[in-house]
Amino acid sequence: MSIIKLQEITKVYQTRDIETTALENVNVSVERGEFVSIMGPSGCGKSTLLNIIGLLDRPTSGTVELLDRTFEKAGDTDLSHFRNANIGFVFQSFHLIPSLNVAANVELPLIYRSGMSASQRRRRVEEVMERLNMTHRLTHMPSQLSGGQCQRVAIARAIVGSPSIILADEPTGNLDSKMGSEVMSLLHTLNKEDGTTIVMVTHNEAQARETDRIVRFFDGRVIS
Amino acid sequence: MKTKLKQIYYDMRHQPVIAWVTFLATAMSVFLIMVVVMMQRAKTVPFAPESCRENLVIGANLHIENIDDAGNNSSSALSYSAAKMLYDGLDGIDCMTFYTMRPEESEVYAPGGDDFITAQSRRADAGFFEVFDHPLVEGRYFTAEEANALMPLAVINESTARKILGNAPWAGREIIVDNSVYTVTGVIRDNSSLATLGHAEIVIPTGPGDTFGQWTDYLGSMAVAMVKKPGVDMEHLRNQVKARYSKLDAQLAAEGKRTIYHEAPYEQSTLADAAFFGSNTTPDASHSRRMRWVIYGILLIVPAINLSSMLHSRMRRRVNEIGVRRAFGCTRRRIITDIITENFIVTLAGGIVGVTLGIIFAATYSGLYEGIEYYNQGDTPAVSAFLNFATIATSLIICFVLNILSASVPAWQAARMNPVEALNSK
Repeated sequence: MSIIKLQEITKVYQTRDIETTALENVNVSVERGEFVSIMGPSGCGKSTLLNIIGLLDRPTSGTVELLDRTFEKAGDTDLSHFRNANIGFVFQSFHLIPSLNVAANVELPLIYRSGMSASQRRRRVEEVMERLNMTHRLTHMPSQLSGGQCQRVAIARAIVGSPSIILADEPTGNLDSKMGSEVMSLLHTLNKEDGTTIVMVTHNEAQARETDRIVRFFDGRVIS
Repeated sequence: MKTKLKQIYYDMRHQPVIAWVTFLATAMSVFLIMVVVMMQRAKTVPFAPESCRENLVIGANLHIENIDDAGNNSSSALSYSAAKMLYDGLDGIDCMTFYTMRPEESEVYAPGGDDFITAQSRRADAGFFEVFDHPLVEGRYFTAEEANALMPLAVINESTARKILGNAPWAGREIIVDNSVYTVTGVIRDNSSLATLGHAEIVIPTGPGDTFGQWTDYLGSMAVAMVKKPGVDMEHLRNQVKARYSKLDAQLAAEGKRTIYHEAPYEQSTLADAAFFGSNTTPDASHSRRMRWVIYGILLIVPAINLSSMLHSRMRRRVNEIGVRRAFGCTRRRIITDIITENFIVTLAGGIVGVTLGIIFAATYSGLYEGIEYYNQGDTPAVSAFLNFATIATSLIICFVLNILSASVPAWQAARMNPVEALNSK
């Protein structure tokens, strides 16, 4: 059963003089619990696709269906609530908020969720950090962490709200190979143990081969 | 809240110049506004000797023109008899005094002494001490009978007594005011010259036969200060006065003259706010009030623009963070409220510093009591008269308005930011 279904997605960026087609008639489906890699050269539209799946951007045409819901008429607040409840993001450059400590960074998605008390949020953050063996870093600031630790915190933040889908945009792109392997192993664990659907953009062929399926892109189109 | 405080602390550490300039600019603008508010309040809040300001009503001036030659007219304060005719025994008045509204600068000596001082003197009937709050330090006020008999008595303030007569007791001793000898019946507490209608250093009795400063039957140098009963409508008083003007017109008609009515009597707040109060004009407070709002507006908008650009600079460094927050489900509305709340905390902190500076300023800076020739602490209204909960609440409301004015545009821009572009920003 498809948890993500993209039908005839086209994305055109329009400036005053130039029209750039980032995605053209893209059809992609991802099954619940699947771990899919998206590969392709730089500028082929991989990140644009990830942004569209993550409801951070809207397609010029085509339909996005996530968890059996479409979003053509959804307003910004509606999209925000859906993202908060169902999607976790992992970014290449971690995007931890420098003014907040690790615990507050991980807690972030829960703050925007109604009905959770501060103590419930704190318990959930501790639970996730324990799972990632990062409890001792809770009060540290992002500037005090290594790249690998930052990405683990970013993953903790992505999973703290128990989303059905994790979107990872080159999650190992800024890490050395050892740290990269650790992060990949963590993502595989989440996929296997929790059944979380993961869509990952990567340039790393080896890492992509470890996933269930590779979707290859070229010039805004799916080629395999 | 804890997160917001952390964010502010982080900003102060990582963008110290912008953060401190924001903080200090807020403090200074709130301080400036507070000083303006206090100076304005000093004009209208009740304090001794004008403790009755809320109900204080002034009947002043008379404007007379020739019926056949409207350009030929004269105006000034009232003669004692005209003041009595127009205002005595009005319905709705608790107490009143006939007195010289503008004090005279008098030379005051001790008998046999060589040195003189100048002091503000007024002529008033015994009602002056009922209308205005002049607590006695020593002796007694002169009585209505003594005033009507124009007895050479004087009530003086403590500083004048000390300067002229040395140490107490002062009552019963003589002083010379503008070359006439008066016996001091009582000594009143020093009082603020900010109370322009009730301030006095020397009060000399006046009554029906007094021709001091009078140059026609109707024009002179007298006015009437009245305390209206609570709830009495100003229109009720004006209607009675208008009727008396009509009677006066009937008398004046024989001389080919008539009055021009300028909406007398006036509330104290109207006179305090009137840009110009001439004897041939209707006091107009609306212009001054409009100007005051313009000044408040400028005092708010200029720092608000400044603070807005500061906040904009701070937000530019947080674009990426806004993208992250949006990705994890923060709504646009929440972005706006978070930024406004954060900014409010900074504004409030700056505002508290501004209010503190304002309190220190009010308590220590004598310039706030402008026009006091012999300044001393006893001569000023209590700081609490204009520095009170209302002043502080006004300042804090100003903080809030300043925050809304300065934060709304950057907050709105942050909320409208495309999350993808925000995430990709360096």
